[in-house]
Amino acid sequence: MKLKNYDYFLVVLTTAILFAIGIVCVYGITYYNYLASVPGWTETARYLQFINDMNSYLYPFLVLLLISLGLCIPKRLFEQDILVKISALALAVTVILTYSLGMETAVGFILAVITGIQGIVLILTFKKSRAVRFEKEGHIARIGSSMLHLGIVVLIFNFVTLRENQLHIMIFWAGTILVTAGNLFSFFPGRVGSLLKR
Amino acid sequence: MGFAQYLAAREFASNTGQPLITYIFIIAMLQLIFAIMFLRGKHDRYYEYLIKCLYICTGLYLVGFIVIIFFHIQIYNTVLIEYPAGLQLPVESNRFAVPLWIESEKLYFWAMVASVFALTIKGRKELLSFLGIILSVFSSVVFFFSNPFKEPLPVVHGEITRWYAAISGDGNVYQIAGTLYGRITYYYNSTYMWTHPPMLFIAYASLIITFAACVFMLFRRIRDYDEIAYRYAKPGYILLTAGMLIGYPWAIEAWKDAAWWWDPKISGSIMMWVLYSAYLHARIYVERGKLWRTTALLGVLCFVTLVFTYLLTYIVPGIHSVVQP
Repeated sequence: MKLKNYDYFLVVLTTAILFAIGIVCVYGITYYNYLASVPGWTETARYLQFINDMNSYLYPFLVLLLISLGLCIPKRLFEQDILVKISALALAVTVILTYSLGMETAVGFILAVITGIQGIVLILTFKKSRAVRFEKEGHIARIGSSMLHLGIVVLIFNFVTLRENQLHIMIFWAGTILVTAGNLFSFFPGRVGSLLKR
Repeated sequence: MGFAQYLAAREFASNTGQPLITYIFIIAMLQLIFAIMFLRGKHDRYYEYLIKCLYICTGLYLVGFIVIIFFHIQIYNTVLIEYPAGLQLPVESNRFAVPLWIESEKLYFWAMVASVFALTIKGRKELLSFLGIILSVFSSVVFFFSNPFKEPLPVVHGEITRWYAAISGDGNVYQIAGTLYGRITYYYNSTYMWTHPPMLFIAYASLIITFAACVFMLFRRIRDYDEIAYRYAKPGYILLTAGMLIGYPWAIEAWKDAAWWWDPKISGSIMMWVLYSAYLHARIYVERGKLWRTTALLGVLCFVTLVFTYLLTYIVPGIHSVVQP
């Protein structure tokens, strides 16, 4: 597949996955509303069951989103074929882990892999490496895009696997700063650039 | 300073604000008429009237907001909660620093910011006329269903009234003081309450323009509309993302172990956010194939989910909601 078509396909795929997550949320609202007909249900075991159910509906799409993020950014970090094969392997390991050790461990695994890749991408982008190619032109926009993607992965990682960790809130703020700065850098590269030059 | 002064400030806010919001409603109706007439006949005269109405309406909204600010400052200055010594509660929480976007004031704040943003659009007369219609409807909704001057801050007023009744001997001071301490510390005076909602309302106001431009993009495939939609989606998305994220540590701090995970409002907000992310993603290839139509449709759908998420507070039970099963 040509790189241009590959990029286009990834954008369509990511859009479709995001849309699917939206549908899971609609289901969550309807399900919650149905369960809320029983007064005080959130104080019963039914609420925990509801949380687990909803997480289990969300996680497969989260894994797909992470895979697509992994495929999307470091397009030339690896050869395209190798990247697709690595992603397929990561997906296969995630599926095996889901059945052997549970969904949270599996999502934790894929999150760790993608966080690592996004971290490398951010470093390479800072170093202006030619290994990374982006849809968005300009160095600042590229850094922004890398920060945004890394921030999203860090936040998901934090929500899924580090909820009980002592550093949870600190990691949350780090992810939030990455996402917000990434958005600003991506959307307003010109203004950010002139601010940084001052 | 005390209850009498607070009541006088409340009466002043109501007496000053009621005529203002009535004028806003009347001007908004004129704005609606001129917008429809311009869209039908394309006479520049109607467009000029429409712009004048928009400016007047925005000006009145801003004056009304100054009245709201004045009222809130007066609440802070006049109402003092002197907790019983036995409770040993910190003095930082003995005054109400009521945010400017709660109860019936939130829709007013959103409408005001949307009016200001509408004035920043340049060039596209049809788009601004369509926005004029949306803003007129919005002003009518504020006037009839969320008028902040009709009965200013009813919940805050109830709490203040109960407190003064309790210290006069009509009620359990300890119980009311305990409740008020929680409300003041984790709600009214919370830094998060001063940052999380306004960021979201400013985002919503910006995204109204994205919605209007996407509607036009659907019917008339002109590149300008996509550019305008994107221009306003950018600040909207940044504030939406940051505003939503800021709600997370607040939820941990204020709700602790309460049932807020997968709460309908939170699910709705995530749905809205992922759809706006999908919109911005799809937009990268807006020129390719039929993706411009998908992008415009997504932009419209995003706004529908935004309104739906806002209304969830009133239609589905949950920790964010005012309705109970």
